[in-house]
Amino acid sequence: MDKTTRSNESGVSEAIGFMLIFGMVIVGIGLVTLYGYPLLLKQQVGADEKIMEKNMIVLQNDVKSLAYKTVPFKETSLKIGGGALTIHNSSAANPSSNISIDNGVVASYLPPFTVNTRFTPGELRYESVSSQTDISLQNGAVVLRQHQASGSVMLAEPRWFFDTATNTMVINLVEFTSETIMAKEGIGTVQMSLTGEPYYNETLVPMNGNITLTYNPGTTQDYSVAWDNYIWNTWNIPQSYKTYRFGTPGTGNQVIYYLNNAGSTPMTLVIKIFRVNIKSI
Amino acid sequence: MARLNDDAQWIILMGFLISFSFFFLAIIINQSTVVGQTTAESVIEFPKNDIRDLTGIITYNTSRSNSTEVVRDIPVIALSRKNAIVRYTVILPQSPQDTHSYALIHYNNGVTEYDENWTSL
Repeated sequence: MDKTTRSNESGVSEAIGFMLIFGMVIVGIGLVTLYGYPLLLKQQVGADEKIMEKNMIVLQNDVKSLAYKTVPFKETSLKIGGGALTIHNSSAANPSSNISIDNGVVASYLPPFTVNTRFTPGELRYESVSSQTDISLQNGAVVLRQHQASGSVMLAEPRWFFDTATNTMVINLVEFTSETIMAKEGIGTVQMSLTGEPYYNETLVPMNGNITLTYNPGTTQDYSVAWDNYIWNTWNIPQSYKTYRFGTPGTGNQVIYYLNNAGSTPMTLVIKIFRVNIKSI
Repeated sequence: MARLNDDAQWIILMGFLISFSFFFLAIIINQSTVVGQTTAESVIEFPKNDIRDLTGIITYNTSRSNSTEVVRDIPVIALSRKNAIVRYTVILPQSPQDTHSYALIHYNNGVTEYDENWTSL
């Protein structure tokens, strides 16, 4: 034996080395396909949905421009990924909701002022295929719901408001109309315009007079939790005006909100209905 | 024998760092579109010109003979055209000592609430 250490390669095999390295590569590829790729896909779906949430708010801004800014026509190009955008107009079957506003006794505050008059807003609905989520632009608000859960959430609110200085309640209703049933996947252009003069009515509600607002969710689409949160919590009517609420949101049954003019003057109730025609998607 | 020269390894390291920084920049750019949207929204929503038009008309009409009709008309027009609740009262010059007109203007369109106590020159 020499004094100096020599490199000893008797236990080294090229074949085993190759197998080890190749095995590692295969295991790496396997892990990425099994766990990494589904994660990436999920992220893509998430991104599609986020983009669509934003798109719906852009569309809501278009509706706002038409309704409140006296803009005659609006057009927005958008990318609809991972699902389809459909127009369900106000006369479509199985509407997602209808509402009625009356004084709890006889008349309705909505045209044609007969008993049990119901306003059906119609909606622009995005249905995500893979994650079973619906995002809907309805009655001036953007709402989101999961197919399996009974809950829903409001992403952007409608412009209903209460003015304390003049004791005025303003309810802006938006109705979607369209010539045909339309749906789109991929790149689409949403064109919309106002039809006719907006309906506008001012009613004096006497002191201690009642207003009953009934929200009736659809059989297949139930956004009542989102609307309940808005009407009962977010909408800026004073607490003393809210008498009570009947029904449980999220169960598919109607929820009735009893409001009362607790102010010291007669309250002005302003109801406006904007009819927005979706020309194309 | 030529020795191994590893003085330039930092170039490769920097390349690695820069490529990673691009990755994070991409995330930030992805977020920025949302921010732009909301900012543009709030600019459009702010009814500065509506309020200016309104105060212009109200102050112009304080001295007119038909101002009582105008007081009734303007709230109706504002509500139907601009979707805003407007109420105002005009106090005309009371005595020789006070030659000013006053207008108390209230404006609310559900997003912006505005009150002004206007005094004439």
